[in-house]
Amino acid sequence: MKILVCLKQILDPEIPARDFRVDAAKGEAERGNANLVTNIFCENALETALQFRERFGDAKITVLSFGAASAEDSLRKALAMKADAAALVINDKNSNPDPLTVAQVLATAIRKLGTFDLVMVGREAGDWGAGQTAGLLAEELSMACVSFVDRIEAMSGGLRMKRQTDSGWEVLEAQTPLVVSITNDEHNVPRIPKVRDVMTSYHQPITQWTLADLGYEIEADKYYQLVDLSIPEKESRCEFVTGDTLDERVESLARRITEVTSAL
Amino acid sequence: MNPAGATRQIYWNISHVWVMYVLLFPALAIFVYGFYRQIKKWRRGAPAARFDQPRRRLKLVFKHALAQRRTARDVYAGTFHRFISYGFVILTIATTVVALDADFGTAIMRGHFYLYFQSFIVDAFGALVLIGVGLAAIRRYLSRPKKLVYTDEATWILVAIALICLQGFLLEGWRIAATNDPWASYSPVGNLIARLSLLSDSTLQTAHRFTWWFHLLLSFGVLAWFPYTKMMHVFTAPLNIYTAQLAPLGASLKHLDFEKTESFGVNSLAAFTWKDLLDLDACTECGRCTAVCPAHIVGKELSPRDIILGLRDAMHGDVNAPIIGSTPATAPAALWQCTTCVACMQACPVFIEQMPKIVDMRRFLVMEETEFPESMQQAIMSLEKRGHPFSGTNATRIDWADGLDIKHISDVQDAEVLLWVGCGGALIERNQKVTRSTAQLLDRAGVRFAILGRDEKCSGDPARRIGNEFLYEMLAKENVESLKKHNVKKVVTSCPHCFNAFRNEYPHFGGNFEVYHHSEYLARLVSEGRLKPIATANKSVTFHDPCYLGRQNDVYDAPRQLVQISSQGAAVEMARSREKSFCCGGGGGMSFVDEPPDKRVNQERAREALATGADVLAVGCPFCMTMMEDGINAQRGDREMRVMDVAELLLEASS
Amino acid sequence: MNDVVICLLSPAGFDRAAQGLAGEGRRLAEKLGSQLKAIVLSPQSPATAPEVAQVCDEVIVVEQDEYQPETALTALVDVCRQLSPAAVLFGNDTYSQEVTPRLAYRLDGAAVGDAVAITVHEQALRVSRQVYGGKAQATIELKRTPAVLWTRARSFASANKLSTPGNITELNVDAPTDTRTRIVERKRESQSEQRLEEARVIVSGGRGIGGPEPFNDELKPLAELLGAQLAASRAACDAGWVPPTFQVGQTGKKVTPDLYLAIAITGASQHMAGISEAKNIAAINTDPDAPIFKHCRFGIVEDYRKVVPLLRQKLIALQNSQR
Repeated sequence: MKILVCLKQILDPEIPARDFRVDAAKGEAERGNANLVTNIFCENALETALQFRERFGDAKITVLSFGAASAEDSLRKALAMKADAAALVINDKNSNPDPLTVAQVLATAIRKLGTFDLVMVGREAGDWGAGQTAGLLAEELSMACVSFVDRIEAMSGGLRMKRQTDSGWEVLEAQTPLVVSITNDEHNVPRIPKVRDVMTSYHQPITQWTLADLGYEIEADKYYQLVDLSIPEKESRCEFVTGDTLDERVESLARRITEVTSAL
Repeated sequence: MNPAGATRQIYWNISHVWVMYVLLFPALAIFVYGFYRQIKKWRRGAPAARFDQPRRRLKLVFKHALAQRRTARDVYAGTFHRFISYGFVILTIATTVVALDADFGTAIMRGHFYLYFQSFIVDAFGALVLIGVGLAAIRRYLSRPKKLVYTDEATWILVAIALICLQGFLLEGWRIAATNDPWASYSPVGNLIARLSLLSDSTLQTAHRFTWWFHLLLSFGVLAWFPYTKMMHVFTAPLNIYTAQLAPLGASLKHLDFEKTESFGVNSLAAFTWKDLLDLDACTECGRCTAVCPAHIVGKELSPRDIILGLRDAMHGDVNAPIIGSTPATAPAALWQCTTCVACMQACPVFIEQMPKIVDMRRFLVMEETEFPESMQQAIMSLEKRGHPFSGTNATRIDWADGLDIKHISDVQDAEVLLWVGCGGALIERNQKVTRSTAQLLDRAGVRFAILGRDEKCSGDPARRIGNEFLYEMLAKENVESLKKHNVKKVVTSCPHCFNAFRNEYPHFGGNFEVYHHSEYLARLVSEGRLKPIATANKSVTFHDPCYLGRQNDVYDAPRQLVQISSQGAAVEMARSREKSFCCGGGGGMSFVDEPPDKRVNQERAREALATGADVLAVGCPFCMTMMEDGINAQRGDREMRVMDVAELLLEASS
Repeated sequence: MNDVVICLLSPAGFDRAAQGLAGEGRRLAEKLGSQLKAIVLSPQSPATAPEVAQVCDEVIVVEQDEYQPETALTALVDVCRQLSPAAVLFGNDTYSQEVTPRLAYRLDGAAVGDAVAITVHEQALRVSRQVYGGKAQATIELKRTPAVLWTRARSFASANKLSTPGNITELNVDAPTDTRTRIVERKRESQSEQRLEEARVIVSGGRGIGGPEPFNDELKPLAELLGAQLAASRAACDAGWVPPTFQVGQTGKKVTPDLYLAIAITGASQHMAGISEAKNIAAINTDPDAPIFKHCRFGIVEDYRKVVPLLRQKLIALQNSQR
């Protein structure tokens, strides 16, 4: 079974609000002192792939990223988690390609890497959160697509998976080849790589391509265009309930709550 | 009679003495084999450099193996131990003298030497041995303190020692009685026994002969048995003290060569160093380490004594077998309770290094197995991603400086010092106030200082103590490079963990800086007249020694000076202060862990602090600040006790 | 054609969210000078189509026995190709989120998700949405037609009723023969028939709750008292204390209640992204510096274990005194 997992490296989503700034001209957040991390849902996807391999054996896992040269760190961490191979398509053009561009670049790279039975992506990225990569990639690769999956099993003739819905969950059966988007669950919290594996990962080769290598040229703004990016002004002061004793303070809280709910 | 001729007949009443020599050889062989076996096992450990600075080492041996200073910290135990050990030294000398005279034709035990040393002093010390054994027995069988290890072996050893001495006196007494020894009065105990033995001469001789052979067999038996029991410590303890760690306790952890090491951390005896293995054989089962362990005191499972003894017992088996979890003491749950306060190492009379072994095992769990408490995992992941362990914080490293004119090191030409803020001082709101106080004091004193601001990364201490040596090295190297890049020579920090890292651990990475705890630097500023505090407040203050400042780096006085200067009220000492200070519970990664509500180290210390009746609990560490505020809040009842950093106290007095 | 089409895939029918969607669709259609049409995918209650027809010029009901993603997608593609709209709008339910990019692709359009506002700018559609975990706001102009959008419909006002209800047509659609995915089991785990996005009062727990039991023992009775639904932060869901359907945040539900009571939740931006449209946020947290307080209308700094039981008593007393 050949599995491909897409990873995106993003700015640490947990930078303190005070340090978060946007560069409106460039249409992206300022790097500042923030660190770069692998998008958590991509890590959930990789973890799901690794657990699948542990349970059902005989699966080769390749990780792929389309991003700046720094995305190599994300791929090394994936190799340290014991992915088998890694590839990076370096984006030296603009930093925020639209979802269709991303899907097309990934699809081109995937075809160049080989034929895969299962392509896994995170449900959305922690920065732009478009959530379209899975669907568009499936269309580009002419594969079926299932979203918000948190568990995958092998079954005869294909795969069985569980996916989250807003009111519960569903179980689907699907035939490969397939694209899935993965969402977080208590079972796919990404594993911590062993130190030895981290050390080995630095010696493992990573295939690197430029867009020219793929024969792909980005057409800016053909799908959609970012026309404004700003940080909304939001100042609100919290009223902390007062009272000398716990009883008085909770009484105050109860009153405030009732004020709001009785107006409904 | 002429005292110059005083002596006694060796082997009086004994025939077939050759049997003794025959029996000696197997006894000696078994004795020697016992040592040989252990030495062979020690040598299977990894290397360690512990033979440098011989004069310093010999001094330690004199102080602690001969004078037994640490043993004597417990006056009762120290007394009986000295009685027994010094007694045996004398008895051994006496026996050697006899052997020399008997086998080598010397004539040492004659005259005054015979009367005053061989008779009188030997009797006195023999009696001391018996008294010592008696005192020991009272403690072991009547008081039954929990810290001791109650084995049959211990009982038999006491019995054997008592019997040997008793027999010695009986032999002496009966000889005196049967031979009408004219010098009997020089052997008071023997003389007394002689007087009390109302037996006929022939009975005396039979009893004497019987007892002599019994005494021989018993002594040779003990000799042979010796290295297979804790009696070994007679030899291993001085050796262990000689090879003890000379650096401050804060420098106790070992470095790892990641390129060369087969296994990261320790999960087998073979992965320990030979010094670690020697430690195991030096243990006397005194239990003091466990008795002072803060985790153990609040009811947790951690027991340094049982870790050492469990590992010692494992030496009988395969040195490659896994040790983590092989006994309850080395179960991961227990290992994760350690705050690395090193009270155990401070207490140990024979200088065993318990804490580094715990960290060695943690390293295995973290780096080889990635199995460690989830809360610590969060801290590690935050360190990897953000350079600080406080996952989820919304603070930046410079929030504390709002409103103050603090400069970045790259903007200051020839700064006197770098103020290293540390993660706690920057990101925990309560500690930001301490950083502000320190900065304001430095400013007032006219010190040209600067900070690294956002370029600071965690010193690596939490990563190192949790066991992720790899991450620690990365952080340490980055920090050393950062400081070198800015040409930093002097560092002042309000966090003892950072202080310890910079002073004791960073030199390994080429980082040699002059490092001061803020209390040291501020005290110096006061003594130089650059700060002129006037104590106006009349509050009584008690100071809680941070483990990483006090016990691990021997800095006790500077913070106390600041307390003295800052308050008119009395300075009160807690019973467990200075090198005996009781941990706040925050070190070793424990501040990230949720402890069971009835087993919280900080609450135990809070009770002690509250019991002093002082108005203020002074601290010198961001972890202590957090843990003690939590602890006091949970325990205080109606009493108000403020927790303040020494810098905050000084600032109040400088306003 | 310049029409605006709204699609109702959720079995919840013409609920508040769908009404908002229709309202937004109508406003958009007016700006474009065109009509508002609706596609209703069954299985739905028979009352849905007539309700939709009250506010839409045309309603197309696509009959299918059960929702299957590929069948639904193919049907939507067929109908949209016929209608050739300027914009296709969806709500934020799972099926809508899943289908929009693929629908856009097959129609040679462009998709954008989680829209909170839609404007027309010189014939092009511009969409506002939150990015960077809710820390920033982006405005995106779509460059292809149709614009296929899923929205936070609950934030929108509903549409006016038409004087004459629109036409209702029914279509039978054959399942495509080459479907490669099939839903074989469906499970509703929600606390009530009402979706969390519809809830007007929410009681939510975070990492500080400490375990699954307090959700049942403490928060649930409180929620019942307030007529509220229970929710949780991602930390609590990841820990397995509550099912993932409880999750509110950048991923997970985006809710718009009148009162969101955050209990032992720090308020990381990832979570705040899910409640930014809440009208009143209140918090119970032991940490006075927790970011959640910066977004609160009111709050209390205290251990929830001490507050919640007492709070329930007080609320009962207040409720009784109001009778």
